[in-house]
Amino acid sequence: MTTLIINKKEYEVNLLGHETLLEVLRDKLSLTGTKTSCQESECGACTVNIDKKAILSCITLAVDVVGKEITTIEGLADGENLHPVQQAFLDHGSAQCGFCIPGMIMSCKALLDNNQKPNQEEMEYALDGNICRCTGYLKIFNAIRAAGTQMKAHV
Amino acid sequence: MKTIFDKKYINPVGKSVPKIDGKGIVTGQQKYVFDVSFPNMLVAKMIRSPHPHARIISIDTSKAEKLPGVKAIVTAIDTHNIKFGSNEYFFPHTVDQQALEADKVRYIGDEIGAVAAVDEETVDEALKLIDVQYEILPAVFDMEEAIKPGAPQIHEAMNNIAVILPVNFGNPERIMKEADYVREDVFYTQAAAHCSMEPHVCVGQFETFSNKVTLWSSSQAPFKCREALAKCLKMDLNDVRVIKLAVGGGFGSKLEMHPMDFAAVVLSKKCGGLPVKICYTREEEFAFSRRKHAMKYKVKTGIKKDGTILAMTGEVLADGGAYCSYGPTVIAAAIMRIFMVYKLQHFRISGYRIYTNTPISGAIRGFGGVQSGFAIESHIDLLARGIGMDPVEFRLKNITRPNMVTVNKMLLTSNGLRDCIEKAAAAADWKNKYNKQKHLCRGMGIGIAADVMGSKMYKSHESAGSIVKVEEDGSVYLFTGAADTGQGSNTALSQIAAQELGVSYSRIRCKSGDTEITPFDTGSFASRVTFISGNATKRAANDAKKQILTIVAQELKFNIDDLDIAAEEVINTKDKSVLMNFDKALELCYSFNYGRQIIGRGSYNPKTTPVDFRTGEGNISGSYGFEAQIAEVEVNKETGEVKILKVWDAHDIGKAINPQQVEGQIEGSIAMGIGYSLYEDLKFKNGRVANANFANYRLPKSLGTPAIETILIETDEKEGPFGAKGMGEASLLPTSAAIANAIEDAVGVRIKELPITPDKILKALKEKEQAKTN
Repeated sequence: MTTLIINKKEYEVNLLGHETLLEVLRDKLSLTGTKTSCQESECGACTVNIDKKAILSCITLAVDVVGKEITTIEGLADGENLHPVQQAFLDHGSAQCGFCIPGMIMSCKALLDNNQKPNQEEMEYALDGNICRCTGYLKIFNAIRAAGTQMKAHV
Repeated sequence: MKTIFDKKYINPVGKSVPKIDGKGIVTGQQKYVFDVSFPNMLVAKMIRSPHPHARIISIDTSKAEKLPGVKAIVTAIDTHNIKFGSNEYFFPHTVDQQALEADKVRYIGDEIGAVAAVDEETVDEALKLIDVQYEILPAVFDMEEAIKPGAPQIHEAMNNIAVILPVNFGNPERIMKEADYVREDVFYTQAAAHCSMEPHVCVGQFETFSNKVTLWSSSQAPFKCREALAKCLKMDLNDVRVIKLAVGGGFGSKLEMHPMDFAAVVLSKKCGGLPVKICYTREEEFAFSRRKHAMKYKVKTGIKKDGTILAMTGEVLADGGAYCSYGPTVIAAAIMRIFMVYKLQHFRISGYRIYTNTPISGAIRGFGGVQSGFAIESHIDLLARGIGMDPVEFRLKNITRPNMVTVNKMLLTSNGLRDCIEKAAAAADWKNKYNKQKHLCRGMGIGIAADVMGSKMYKSHESAGSIVKVEEDGSVYLFTGAADTGQGSNTALSQIAAQELGVSYSRIRCKSGDTEITPFDTGSFASRVTFISGNATKRAANDAKKQILTIVAQELKFNIDDLDIAAEEVINTKDKSVLMNFDKALELCYSFNYGRQIIGRGSYNPKTTPVDFRTGEGNISGSYGFEAQIAEVEVNKETGEVKILKVWDAHDIGKAINPQQVEGQIEGSIAMGIGYSLYEDLKFKNGRVANANFANYRLPKSLGTPAIETILIETDEKEGPFGAKGMGEASLLPTSAAIANAIEDAVGVRIKELPITPDKILKALKEKEQAKTN
């Protein structure tokens, strides 16, 4: 058994060497908030944070993140209190079907953890690995700006 | 007790309230079928043809069956060789696909069976052990080759023409002779993929003790799904339950059944009722689901010097792929939309849908209107230029008006098209920019469109039903058959229910798309849900309100006609005095004396007339939405690259139930439209999809997202719920033409073939230079 630290909790998992973090999260731990969409690192739906960086869990081996701090979409809200990024996505109508949104929010969080006032270009680059087919991205940019302001106020 | 209503959300119609499922989405707790898992659940995959066209000689599954872990294998015998189709009611001859094919395969990927096993590795191993003997037949991949005499015959249809739809009014040939200016153009559009972020997925389960089946499906039309399942499995409708959970995007691809849906339940039956899950990979999604019809659109028009359009003729060829799917209605939509936009009296156009040995073309957002939008709106621009008239003026001269009956008997009630064009042009500063930015290689182009809000294309009726149940504690349950696929229909319908009932939106719990629990609804397509299901919901809420007011009237000895519920209070409409709050009224309904449950019901069937598909006559929709879009572009003459600087979109939506969601639909449509105009292109090599992944099929991404300005035109449609019309598709229709028109304004070249790649622009620029020097 190996220990994975996910959302500040320890999970004992029987890891196989070839298993991706995405497979372990969804199939072994039932953390299905992280989505499977392309499984070849092109769409960003499976994005999680490892030590505050956005990474693609579909191409990350679970054994490689043992001991690291893994954050998934399930780890952002504090009970009923949403994380500022989640709240901003809700307020600004940034989600439609929602399937890309967990990954999108994790990319936004990684961006904002490092830079609460990203300019347009920085936002576009930070999200370039996350495909959204529904929204056309504009309302997602609005959410990032609002969440950044909120996060800055609480630093 | 925790209060369940939030004052903020009183009178929610017209307000940008948060999505009803928004918290579930942003916390990752929203359940999609992709996330569903049951104990002892098996996984399954389809057995697919590796050949584009072949006769099936034999299928030997014996070796695979012996593989440990394999639980069931099904082929056509298990689905009774019954065919299904999407246009059964109007075009019965187009019902041409078997749940699993028995005799012939017609494209690479055609489904002939499925295997269920304990895990994916075992399924993959089993697939290798299945021995299918084929007699390979000559295949045809190009639609213009397919209609030639002697081409391989794919179905019974003569010359591989599955559908011919004519539209014919007046005498265009004769009237064309009176024209001052006549031109003919031919446009080409490409195949494209839907790219829902959630691939197709289903879980099937057979109940051995009751002989019933349940299918959890990522579906835009659960009731349609139920009907096809029952038919192919020879079961009664009420023995089939289809449950739609959250749907991770559909855009038309999840509108109809796929062989996987049949396979999942039949496999479950064969292995004694274990649940069976089938998930498409991204590659399967690209290569074997559905795609957009590639079209060749030829159109000829004669106009007067003053810009009056006199007559139009045309011919449309559409590559349908291996089966009909929603093809007939796609063709109808591609040739019939024009009457909603321009006043035409003399018109003849024929649409041909052609079989080829390529993946199936089907419904995709816009239903043929994207292809025709590009062709017609580019052509209109060329006509205006041909007589030296401003394209905005040209359009204003010829557009339809409110409350008019078109030559094909469409009744256009509210029609804000003039407003759309004028306001978009004003916002974009058209007068000062069009034809004035040449030195900068900047240009501006306009396209306009109209769209239907529902159509009786699936059944003889197009009705939707809703139930509004008000509980003892004041919570309101809305049951709707409408299938929210992410566009936000559950939110909009909940707003409508709350507004009509006179309560806060926060009271509403919405349950949708379960064929055993919710009322019937044809599904999410044709921009119909807000308009049609919205009307049903409004009626259901009104019914519930009347039931509550009946009790209040009885108790207070009032005439019920003098009572209403508004902003959470029962009021006397005569003097506007407040009689009691909503919770008190509910207490009364559920009190010792009354004990009356509040269950409101509503159903709505739009007022339309049948369409005669021999002529194109008929009023297909209960309302029509209108749209004008302007694109400003910058073209790099050295590289041929097109940069979209800004898009202005003015949309007559009747009334915005939720302005933020309306904007979201417009912005998403425009992004999709830009992708299709400039780079999205599903490519084929010998019938096989050559770019079946996101790395090689380019989609709009965050980098370079242009600014979009939306202008909502509220025309207050009398037939719509609170004046609303549908609007999920129209903004996609004019985008390609607006961009192509802007490119000509910028650099003086006309591209008539999508996608408008840098290569095509450079080639056109070069040809233009050469023509100048000659």
